[in-house]
Amino acid sequence: MAPLSVAIAVWGLVTGVAMVNSGLSITVAIVMTLTVFAGSAQLAVLPLLATSAPLPIVWVTALLVNLRFVIFAAASRKSFVMLPWQQRMLAGYLNGDLGFALFARRFADDPERGNPVQWGYFYGGAVVNWVAWMGSSIVGILLGGLAPTDWGLELGAYLALLAVLIPMVHRLPVVAGVLVTGLIAVATVHFPLRLGLLLAVLAGVGVAVGVESQRPGDQPHGAVAVAADITGEGEVA
Amino acid sequence: MDSALYLTAAIVGLTLVTIATRSSFFMLPARIELPPNVERGLRYAPACALTAIITQGVLARDHQPYMSVHNYQMWAILAAALVFATTRNMIAMMVVGMAVFTALRLSF
Repeated sequence: MAPLSVAIAVWGLVTGVAMVNSGLSITVAIVMTLTVFAGSAQLAVLPLLATSAPLPIVWVTALLVNLRFVIFAAASRKSFVMLPWQQRMLAGYLNGDLGFALFARRFADDPERGNPVQWGYFYGGAVVNWVAWMGSSIVGILLGGLAPTDWGLELGAYLALLAVLIPMVHRLPVVAGVLVTGLIAVATVHFPLRLGLLLAVLAGVGVAVGVESQRPGDQPHGAVAVAADITGEGEVA
Repeated sequence: MDSALYLTAAIVGLTLVTIATRSSFFMLPARIELPPNVERGLRYAPACALTAIITQGVLARDHQPYMSVHNYQMWAILAAALVFATTRNMIAMMVVGMAVFTALRLSF
């Protein structure tokens, strides 16, 4: 858990600095980090918020980045399905990349689902993750306000997103998907309302699914394996 | 639109997106499963969305493609990608990326 807290803290620091350097005020950045609680989605929407992109584009972009959590939820639901809905919602909200990776790796083969040991492990990890993330991103927000803007620190947001992206790109379908997405995204950058972004993602997903369907034997099976495949075995994200 | 209102609405919506995606299958009845076709699409959307954000941010300027040798962010991102792909070290990657950008910015 300790090395993971360091990884979370670095990631939080970078996200905090990037939020302020994209032009958000310190107050807005702190509110955003305390509520949204999804680093890659927060970083991904910064360039959109900085240019006052239409709200539906902002929300859909975050949704696309966060769709991996739907697969995580499907993978670990059996351990939580017997709890009251308030607790399920809280556990879901806390089920981010690292918490999920640890929990899935520890209990993926455990035939007994949903016992106090599993919940204790989950919430223990979630609390450490939450404290490390919130503490470091607020420190990053306060530090980010001190740096001159011509240092180019907004590049930090793209570098941090790259650290999430690279471990995801390790099989042919996703390689094809991101290449097509990248080409179309640049070619359509002049489209109004940032619609080129959505078009590029749709085309990339379509190509990835198409390539995958040509290679049916090569795919992970079962929600846990699929979830691990997306994140590249639970890298920092 | 008023900037405070815009940012408030953005943050409320983003929080709902986090809750909706993370809690999705925790809230649904057990008999509802993720259909394999839907799962296939969901699997690739995050990588593609991150790619679109990064490429539009780094390889474009003023709503036009910007793939010139003078695009310092492009060189910084390429160097950082190389470092991260080989070392998986996020700190090394950030340092190299920012160093390449700063060196180019100050040299030319």
